Amino acid sequence: MSRGRAVFGSAIVLIYGFILLPLVVIVGVSFNAGSLFDFPPKGLSLRWYDALFAQSSFLHAFLDVSVTVGVATALAATLLGGLAAIALVRFRFPGRGFLEAFFLTPLVVPHILLGAALYLYFARLGLSASLTTLVISHVLIATPYVVRNVAAGLVGLDPAIEEAAVNLGASRLRAFLRVALPQIRYSVVSSLVFAFIVSFSDINVALFVSGPDTTTLPVYLFSQVQWQSDPSIAAASTVQIVLVALVVAGLQKTFRARIGM
Amino acid sequence: MTAISHTAASLDDAGEPRARIASWGTLLAAPYALYLVLVLLVPLGIVTVYSFFTYSTTGVALPVLTLRNYAQLADPYFLRLIGRTAGIALKTTAICVVLGYPLAYALARAKGALASLGFFLLLTPLMVSPVVRALGWYVLLDRNGLVNTVLVACGAGRQQLLFSEPAVLVGLSHLLLPFMVLPLVASIERIPPSLEEAARNLGASPLGVFRKVILPLSLPGLISGAVLVYVESASAYVLPALLGGRFVRMIGNEVYDALLVSYNVPQAAMLTVALVVVTIGILGASMALARRAIAVGRASR
Repeated sequence: MSRGRAVFGSAIVLIYGFILLPLVVIVGVSFNAGSLFDFPPKGLSLRWYDALFAQSSFLHAFLDVSVTVGVATALAATLLGGLAAIALVRFRFPGRGFLEAFFLTPLVVPHILLGAALYLYFARLGLSASLTTLVISHVLIATPYVVRNVAAGLVGLDPAIEEAAVNLGASRLRAFLRVALPQIRYSVVSSLVFAFIVSFSDINVALFVSGPDTTTLPVYLFSQVQWQSDPSIAAASTVQIVLVALVVAGLQKTFRARIGM
Repeated sequence: MTAISHTAASLDDAGEPRARIASWGTLLAAPYALYLVLVLLVPLGIVTVYSFFTYSTTGVALPVLTLRNYAQLADPYFLRLIGRTAGIALKTTAICVVLGYPLAYALARAKGALASLGFFLLLTPLMVSPVVRALGWYVLLDRNGLVNTVLVACGAGRQQLLFSEPAVLVGLSHLLLPFMVLPLVASIERIPPSLEEAARNLGASPLGVFRKVILPLSLPGLISGAVLVYVESASAYVLPALLGGRFVRMIGNEVYDALLVSYNVPQAAMLTVALVVVTIGILGASMALARRAIAVGRASR
């Protein structure tokens, strides 16, 4: 029995090794003193970070495009998806069952199809690639997560408390804002964060809808990997890994529990 | 008074004037519904229409309806492409099932700090961009990479690992494993541990417990995970572009090149439609097979 447990335990450790190895290697290579992708690194240095932050194209892709688009996407997706979730959970109206499924469809459409479709659509409308077309596209892939998240938060609420507020003279809207909203604040915060991350790490859709001046960080990395390979790409990737890890750890601390999608 | 009736209405619709309730719900759902029509349905419609248009060397496409784009699918090149894509997607799904089950079981039964750590180490890579993760494998599988260093040390000699199907399979499984694990965890969590204990007390081996208790009860999670992994891997293009190079092309690479490199819009549109149809077809067939296998399994018990 205990031997079985040991075998099972080592299998789990091996699987985690598989999951983490590529990220560990990237972080290691980014601190390499040599000019190749040596792992383990041949001496430690920060030279590739210096090289990276001296590149205006990286800073532009990271701050002006990826972070900006991520924040705009998070706000827009949380507003659109939050309202939709309230409608689904709190109201009965014709077509509700259909909308419940329809609202999640972007999750099951392959991203290559979404990217190609949006590319042709924007071209057809005469819209050239811009931050706006990026945000419009990212809201599409981020909002289903928001709908699911906020709806899950609302379903768990005890309606009696809100009803009590209304009975004590609060308007319906006021009761929702003062009683229900504070209770689902974690769902709202995690929706904002999820939507940001979906946008921040997307490559499949961004490759089709970003232009020369609106290269996102993943698109920047993609072209760098193909054309010029030095460890500064690993440094740029490490910036992404650290940012995402901080966000996930922060979310976990807030919820003191598991977060899932 | 109206406020109170609204609350009541939202909680159960018994005895409420339907029109007023409908207007609130519809109003709140309308913006996103409209958004999906304009940014999802219309673009998908445009792609479908383009797939029947005639190729033009000067513009996007000639609005002359034709089936010629679809006739290209009979070409051996495209048949091989579709076969390779479906094969890679099926193999990736199989790898994710094999690696995902033990991991999902461990996570579902873990408690406290260990569970938090386990989820953190699963979710962080999931949210890091696919390019970064592919780059990690690129570095690992390179001629001078860690894997080759180990192979040389073991006396197996230096191998060409990049730009091969195994490299693509490793990269895709790594990319999509969390999509298999998360739904499985949700399913396994709902199985009471007492059920496993009962099976063990009645003499079932660990494998027997898995086959007779865990597997049948976590089937919904397995199916939704497998569907996600299959759909995502069948439509991958960034990862095969980086780890497969010119040698392991999938439908996604062909779509990307037709659209952004050779500007053959009707062909790109036809390939995306074909991708979706083939994906749904293979999914339907595997679902039917799985259902049959389950039915046979039940009958023989």
